[in-house]
Amino acid sequence: MRIWVGAGVLALMFLAVLGFVASSTRGQAAAPPQPILFSHQLHAGQYKIDCQYCHADARRSEYAGLPSVTRCMGCHRITAADRPEIQKLAQFFNEQKPIPWVRVFKVPEYVHFPHKPHIRAGVTCQTCHGPVETMAVVSAKTGQNLANDLLNLVTFAPTPTPLTMGWCVDCHTTMNATKKTKAPLECVVCHH
Amino acid sequence: MVKLEGNPDHPVNRGTLCIRGQAGLQGPYNPDRLRGAMQRRDASGALRPVKWEEAEKFLVERLTGLVKQGKGKRIVVVSQLESGSLGRLLDAWAGALGAERMNYEPFNYEAIRHASRTVFGRDAIPHYAIEEANVLLSFGADFLETWLSPVEHARAFTRMHALKHGKAGTFIHLEPRLSLTAANADEWVQNAPGTEELLALAILRVILDEGLQAPGVDIALLRAAASKVDLQSTARQSGVSGEAIKHIARTFAKAKPGLAIGGGVAGTSAFAVETQVAIHLLNYAAGNVGRTVRFGPDSAFGKAAPYVGAQLLTQRMANGEVDILLLIHANPLFALPAAGGMAEALKKVPLVVSFSDQPDETTQRAHLVLPDLHALESWGDFSPREGVIGLMQPTMAPVFDSRSAGDVLLSVGRQVLGTPEGKGPLRWPAFQAYLKDQWRGIAREYSPATPFDQFWEESLRRGGAWKEIGVVPVQARSAPVQGKPATVEGDPQGLTLLVYPSHRFYDGRGANKPWLQEAPDTMTQVTWDSWVEVPAEVAKKLGLRQGDLVKVASPHGAIELPAYISESLHAGAVAIPIGQGHTAYGRYAKDRGANPLALLPAPGPAGLPFLSVKVSLTKTGGRRPLAIPQATADQDNRELARHVTLPTARELELRGAAPEKASHPSMYPDPKYPEYRWGMTIDIDSCIGCQACVIACKAENNVPVVGKEQVAYGRDMHWLRIERWQEGPAGHPETLFLPMLCQHCEVAPCEPVCPVFASYHTNEGLNAQIYNRCIGTRYCNNNCPYHVRRFNWWDYGSPTSSSHAFPDPLHLQLNPDVTVRQLGVMEKCTMCIQRIIAAKDHARDEGRLVRDGDLETACQQTCPTQAIVFGNLKDPSSRVAKSSRSPRGYHVLEELGTRPAITYLKKVTREHGKA
Repeated sequence: MRIWVGAGVLALMFLAVLGFVASSTRGQAAAPPQPILFSHQLHAGQYKIDCQYCHADARRSEYAGLPSVTRCMGCHRITAADRPEIQKLAQFFNEQKPIPWVRVFKVPEYVHFPHKPHIRAGVTCQTCHGPVETMAVVSAKTGQNLANDLLNLVTFAPTPTPLTMGWCVDCHTTMNATKKTKAPLECVVCHH
Repeated sequence: MVKLEGNPDHPVNRGTLCIRGQAGLQGPYNPDRLRGAMQRRDASGALRPVKWEEAEKFLVERLTGLVKQGKGKRIVVVSQLESGSLGRLLDAWAGALGAERMNYEPFNYEAIRHASRTVFGRDAIPHYAIEEANVLLSFGADFLETWLSPVEHARAFTRMHALKHGKAGTFIHLEPRLSLTAANADEWVQNAPGTEELLALAILRVILDEGLQAPGVDIALLRAAASKVDLQSTARQSGVSGEAIKHIARTFAKAKPGLAIGGGVAGTSAFAVETQVAIHLLNYAAGNVGRTVRFGPDSAFGKAAPYVGAQLLTQRMANGEVDILLLIHANPLFALPAAGGMAEALKKVPLVVSFSDQPDETTQRAHLVLPDLHALESWGDFSPREGVIGLMQPTMAPVFDSRSAGDVLLSVGRQVLGTPEGKGPLRWPAFQAYLKDQWRGIAREYSPATPFDQFWEESLRRGGAWKEIGVVPVQARSAPVQGKPATVEGDPQGLTLLVYPSHRFYDGRGANKPWLQEAPDTMTQVTWDSWVEVPAEVAKKLGLRQGDLVKVASPHGAIELPAYISESLHAGAVAIPIGQGHTAYGRYAKDRGANPLALLPAPGPAGLPFLSVKVSLTKTGGRRPLAIPQATADQDNRELARHVTLPTARELELRGAAPEKASHPSMYPDPKYPEYRWGMTIDIDSCIGCQACVIACKAENNVPVVGKEQVAYGRDMHWLRIERWQEGPAGHPETLFLPMLCQHCEVAPCEPVCPVFASYHTNEGLNAQIYNRCIGTRYCNNNCPYHVRRFNWWDYGSPTSSSHAFPDPLHLQLNPDVTVRQLGVMEKCTMCIQRIIAAKDHARDEGRLVRDGDLETACQQTCPTQAIVFGNLKDPSSRVAKSSRSPRGYHVLEELGTRPAITYLKKVTREHGKA
């Protein structure tokens, strides 16, 4: 009897720790404060500006790239130039300094994810990044965190795009089987 | 910027780099690099950071004071040899202020220039066309290591020496020590130190006596020189038999054309000039002048100032005749023998200004340090020889708060003269503008028909400008020779000291680069240290073991070094490489042996006397074991590095024989390769053991350096190493260099033993290692017969770790396409998988498969002799597939049935016993 109570207490403590870890990792990764309150919802959602208008390296290289301050100013020299957030932008432009954006999406350092072949294969940005066009502040409930792993384990539908290896490989095999693509399955293609 | 590669269009390097060039990346990113201007307020105080504006203002005030008083002569500008615009700017600057100007190169080949002047009446160092010689005869010239232009020479050497269409040249090398160059010789002839001139004259005498000279040469002139020696006494004094001398003379004279060169320690003895005179006469007698010895495309080293200049400057400084000394890329306190008195003289100069970007022995004593930009951060040009001018643009923003020496001097000079920008002798706003202006003159000379803007743009794109320079005919004149062994100072019972430049550190400027420290010296395999090479007989007499500390004493000084026992060094000599023994050159050069220049006398009229003293050795009783990755040179009958004789190789080539490659049965089904099977061939006949590939691999693949202690444990991390094997008598061995890297076996012993599938075979024939799967059992390492797997015993990648290998800003050198491995995982050669992936990506953009030549591995890219070929073995027409079918092809340890993807081509050896 006593053993069972003890085990129950232990299990509860374990779950509590898990919950804390899960919430804390999520909290960190979710929506870090950015130097400028840039809204994807406004740009990509409302105005339907193509993702690759700003992230123009995605189709050309391994990295999606961030737009240069000059590219932002291409519109914002006139558009909404009086807003406080745009004035922050103008200040970076005048000081000729890059904007210190905080990275949201990140795969571990031993993974090489190249954007170019995925764009070339017709994979939409949202497949991995989630519905960014609906986010006022970009958040990513992604990555190899305990919460995602556990949710996967108990076969709950995972939170959007876990960006785990199994998820990548699943997509590659499915695409190869259904769409006759040649998505590589060699370990060394991403891990080198 | 994460990797350095040569410009494939450049006529000197053709895209390849030497070991020092590969390690050049660790110059701008060196963690000890000076971070800004520094000033010493009082003589006892330390250097403290100062604002650039203040430093400039201070210098302007001091210079103006002298210039106004008409004492410009008391300002001296010293630089290394600057063959481009910076050199001309320094001349113009010194001219405008009335200052004195000199350049200084530690190895300036003054003897060759001097001899050219006396024999051919031309004050120049000729271009030696090694690739066109049928027989190359070298009197100690280490042309594969440091002599003149080693990368160019290495390529030329392979072209002249490798078997091609049944023909192959012969290389005969005379040197008392088995250097890397000597190890590449078909016939290495060991002579007593300082007898090179004697031997050259004896060879000349045989040529004349046997009437082998070229038609039309002035026999009386040659006879006058050759009659100074006779064969018998030469044989006695040099230890080279009369038969051998005759054989060399006949081989050389019949080569048509041959080529004789001289350098190394032989080029710096008391009779260095006479040695070069004798060599010039040899070339003249054999009819090589104008064919393989070409005046016209002269080497830039012919413009270096004579050493006497350095000596005179030291005297002037000691007499208090110099008030301001400006040093641009010069570290005289390390690179000049202490006996010259530079250290004392420097104390008498009230203001020493150094433009060095690294802390060194001289900045340690400077009053003002104005760190220059690194060559990769700045504009510049360089002319290695007539007809070739390389043009450099900045490849990166400055890492630290450094400023271009050219910019600083222009601005300071204008302020001193009181002239505004755009006016006066220093009117250019910045060095870039000066450089571009200089190129207007070059444009007129190189391409008079092209508009300047177009020429400038084309030159920038091409990386420089080059043109053919015609050969200038010269007439030989009689010149004095000695005809006796070079005089050596000191105890006649002592051992002759051979001080030689290191192919890793050159004159010592490479010693602050950890890659160069950790790359083993190919012949001795020593890392991270300096040593004194002691002949085995002497060591036995003194009771010395390897690593015992020895006191080496000459009439000029004494140093202590660990002993390296050598079976092959001349019994009357000891040898010490230059480069180590720094006292203030950053953390990596600290406490690494001693500087052998401390043993030498002051420079004389023939230059730095690297062969001029006898030394005595005393065992001190202390020990400092050397860290040697490959301790043995004995293959133990394993036939790892193989060779065939030239007649056999020729016959095999003519018959088109198939390679002897065993394909042993395997228990596993044969793998299928749908598109590619990557493979490599390495021609060990071309490999000269220069180690450029080793550093290229380290740079490309983020391989950490581990330090002396870990190397001594056998825990070095090189993915690619040069194994040095020797056969035959220990005193006179045949040396074979075997680049050893992962063999990417088809039946790989490492794969089935991995419990977590971290080591596996890809469908392109690569043996892959997945770092994030690896749990560090090291079973794969134990099961690998080639010993090419490397384990991370320490956390080299983490900035918080005590063994962190990339201290800020060295981490900027890391290749972003390659994972930095963590503690506890195994790693090894991937055949530059990141380059394969990039090439496939590029090919897919164009809707095709990867074509032969689309990609090169890092080691292949930099190999000066192009010994390495990489490509797709599935494509029978690829270069690698063709070359792997060579009759010289074999697999290392093929009897194990590993079926490697790397095919080695056997070395072609010449018949022995003739010399």
